[in-house]
Amino acid sequence: MATAAHEAPGPDAAPTAHHDEHESTGVDNRKLGMWAFLSSEFLFFGALITNYLLYSGRDFAQGPTPAQVYDIPFTSVSSFVLLMSSLTMVLAHNAVSRGDQSATRTWLLATAMLGSIFLAGQVFEFTEFVVEQGMTLRTNPAASAFYVLTGFHGTHVAIGVIMLLSLFGLSRRLGGLSDRRFLNLELVGLYWHFVDIIWIVIFTVVYLLTATPGGG
Amino acid sequence: MTTTADRPTTIFRRPTAHTGFWSWITTVDHKKIGIMYGYTAFIFFLIGGTEALLLRIHLSSAENGFLGAADYNGLFTTHAVTMIFLVVMPMSAAFMNYLLPLMIGARDVAFPRLNALSYWLFLFGGLFLYSGLAFSAIAPPGGVAGVPGNIDPSDARGFGALPDAGWFMYQPNAGAHFSPSLALDFAVLGLQILGIASLISAVNFIVTFFNLRAKGMRLLRVPVFIWMTVVTAFLLLFSLPIIAIALFMVTFDRQFGTLFFDASAGGDPILWQHLFWLFGHPEVYILILPAMGIVSEVLPVFSRKPLFGYAAVVFAGTAIAFLGFGVWAHHMFSSGITPVAQAGFGLTTMTIAIPTGIKIFNWLGTMWLGKIKMATPMLFCIGFVAMFTIGGLSGVTHSIVPSDWQQTDTYYIVGHFHYVLFGGAIFGLFGGLYYWFPKLTGRMMNDRLGKVHFWLWIIGFNTTFAPMHWLGLQGMIRRTWRYDPSLEFWNQVVSIGSYIIALGLLVFIFNFWNSKRRGAIAGMDPWDARTLEWSIPNPPPAHNFSVVPVVHSLDDFWHQKYGEDDEGRPVRRADADEKVAHLGEIGAHPPTPIHLPNPSYFPILMAAGIPLIAYGIIFHLSAAGKALIVGGALLSLIALIGWGSEPLEEAPAPAHPAGAGAH
Amino acid sequence: MADAHEIEHPTPAQYVKIAILLAVLTAIEVSLFYINEAADLGWINTAALLVLAFLKFVIVIGWYMHLRFERASVGRFFSAGFVLAFSLYAIVLISFGVLALNR
Repeated sequence: MATAAHEAPGPDAAPTAHHDEHESTGVDNRKLGMWAFLSSEFLFFGALITNYLLYSGRDFAQGPTPAQVYDIPFTSVSSFVLLMSSLTMVLAHNAVSRGDQSATRTWLLATAMLGSIFLAGQVFEFTEFVVEQGMTLRTNPAASAFYVLTGFHGTHVAIGVIMLLSLFGLSRRLGGLSDRRFLNLELVGLYWHFVDIIWIVIFTVVYLLTATPGGG
Repeated sequence: MTTTADRPTTIFRRPTAHTGFWSWITTVDHKKIGIMYGYTAFIFFLIGGTEALLLRIHLSSAENGFLGAADYNGLFTTHAVTMIFLVVMPMSAAFMNYLLPLMIGARDVAFPRLNALSYWLFLFGGLFLYSGLAFSAIAPPGGVAGVPGNIDPSDARGFGALPDAGWFMYQPNAGAHFSPSLALDFAVLGLQILGIASLISAVNFIVTFFNLRAKGMRLLRVPVFIWMTVVTAFLLLFSLPIIAIALFMVTFDRQFGTLFFDASAGGDPILWQHLFWLFGHPEVYILILPAMGIVSEVLPVFSRKPLFGYAAVVFAGTAIAFLGFGVWAHHMFSSGITPVAQAGFGLTTMTIAIPTGIKIFNWLGTMWLGKIKMATPMLFCIGFVAMFTIGGLSGVTHSIVPSDWQQTDTYYIVGHFHYVLFGGAIFGLFGGLYYWFPKLTGRMMNDRLGKVHFWLWIIGFNTTFAPMHWLGLQGMIRRTWRYDPSLEFWNQVVSIGSYIIALGLLVFIFNFWNSKRRGAIAGMDPWDARTLEWSIPNPPPAHNFSVVPVVHSLDDFWHQKYGEDDEGRPVRRADADEKVAHLGEIGAHPPTPIHLPNPSYFPILMAAGIPLIAYGIIFHLSAAGKALIVGGALLSLIALIGWGSEPLEEAPAPAHPAGAGAH
Repeated sequence: MADAHEIEHPTPAQYVKIAILLAVLTAIEVSLFYINEAADLGWINTAALLVLAFLKFVIVIGWYMHLRFERASVGRFFSAGFVLAFSLYAIVLISFGVLALNR
């Protein structure tokens, strides 16, 4: 999707330039492409969550399972951080649409920071699970499923952080985001919020609903 | 704006060649990309066909020593993977790429550079998949230092070094324990790369369809082939992520020691079957729907009638796609799923026959009372309808669960799916090739040789695949390199049939090569066709349409040429010839200059990084493997930065409207 | 709904209010988790948590991703993927006997 973000019409071509020539949904090509891609991502994460749910309720010869080692207070805080990064992201979008370039940069940086804090939390969580609890990728299928699911989500967050920082850098170098880059910000925003809604599902379905009472 | 035009791109000077080798490497023109898809897929068709012929030599006697068991396993698996992912899908993609913009009146797809990226990823994915052979040939016995011990490449040599677990790679048979050969890893990661290519294409085609149709081409004026293209794109969009995850799980199991499918550690191999067929059944429609679209374009032209029940054909295609997501477990009737699930999936499977039947009746209705012209494209498409109907009928028998238990994993299934994929998809695609050959080359294909090809194929095809049904019902299991000698006679018939098919293919190759050089000049509109792509010269100029057309009806080009008499019969307008000649004149000489997307190095560079990462994953325990991962990622990243820093069109966008449609 | 995209987008103050709502919903979720640990609520806990998560999910899509303000076609695109994923995977989990509300 990062590449889709760069297939721009000439920088001076207004996004609506083709309405006279083509039957069109009226949604910019790149934006429509991003929505289509995100729509397919539901199937991607859905498979991973299904995989986890299948194994989370089973007993295995070798423990512990993720449900036994969750640290709910810790994960609640990092989930909150990611949730709030959606606020800063939408504020960045709002700022750029008002033409306030310096506020845009501030909010972009804030979003990237919150994303990084979430990632750092995930690294800490994984380390704790592996070192303290002795649950590795190879302990049992539920552990495998947990690490692969949250790992793929973390990869998505990391890609998002890189895109946010690129936008921040571009804006600093060019003194602001032009019309074309403005759309880039909107696309990155869509991606970022999507990663957030996937975490909303993971936090509830994978953490809260499967955690063993009294565990962690 | 002038600043972007003057600013040099950051990494390379922009490529400028319009002909020759570099023009193909750097092209972003959907027509050139489509042609490359076509040739690449055809080469893989020859490879996959050769594999089939080797298998048939071996099976011509019950206890043949021609192939070893390992070689046999490698060949039938690779034959399937090749024909599905490297032949039928990319051949369909060739038509989609070439025709989508032409049939909707656009200058290119929505994202031309992404389109090039798709092609290169497909090519590299296919080469990656086969590169396992080369690795096994050069790897020392005992394995390569640094490669995980459980996947020693010297376990298999020769064709046995091809992936050998069947194209649906059931777990745990395809896990590291039972299939230790590296070949499986090459197949799994190769399919992953092909999946990325198809996903990018799907997004590209969907956006093109929704945003770039010519003015006036409302949804129910879109040619059926384009409808089937977008339906296929949606199927890809929603089914590829599922197989991506499934393949990732296998890669993690084989390379990083996860336990998803390891039953001894509590893993569940049935999960693989669900995920695989959640993708695998939509995949079946991904293979057949484009061919159905081609047939729906060709039949009306050679029957000189509009497609019977256009809207019904479109809706039936959409319904097939939708229902196609709800039938996956009929591949698993013998896998111990619950009786309720068996009954449910049996029922949904039967309902698929309804929209399919609608299509078949519509095709028959199109030909009924038409002025049929039996040219080669028409023959192939009639062949499609007949063969696909047989394949569809044998398919419905699988919805009866007890009957399916009997047929599962026998040659009955092999016969069935070759009737739909060869008698269906391949016949349709070759019909399309004969039909659009003048569009591609500006020359006509030799019709007499085309008919020889058709008759050799229809005879050879039925000789090959019809006896498989009764072989299967007599209990000949599929994927066996030894069988009961009492079945030898029909197996020999099958083997003879397969060589008749090969003979037909040779006729085709000669005809194609010869017609491309010496065929009669096609001129404008050689078939008296109905759709927009024939309203421009053959072959089309790089900019497609000199003036972007305005569409007033379904089959707009036909209605420009024909009116109706009192009884509703089509009558050619007096000025039709003049009009077509005029269109040819305008098409060749655009009234205003047109700016097109510039060629770019970055799609191929970006695609090149991905297989490097995949090699790195296979050899990740060695330093070289880690270096490959980092190097591949860096290459793709640098290409991405270059991609982002160069504009799609180098020249300033023109002030007049004619040039603005180029993205 | 053809001109739905013309509707004014929310102001920053409204975005903050939405964030507070999201935070409150998350807080309720986490408290429910602990209440359930103390006294088993059974299926009520499961259902309540799913409803809360779905609310958050819809709020972020509708307001932060501006889906409410987009053309209807975009919404159909996006919900197609979600509905398909949800139905297919639910069937898979049911066929494994995993999907039971009273975990």
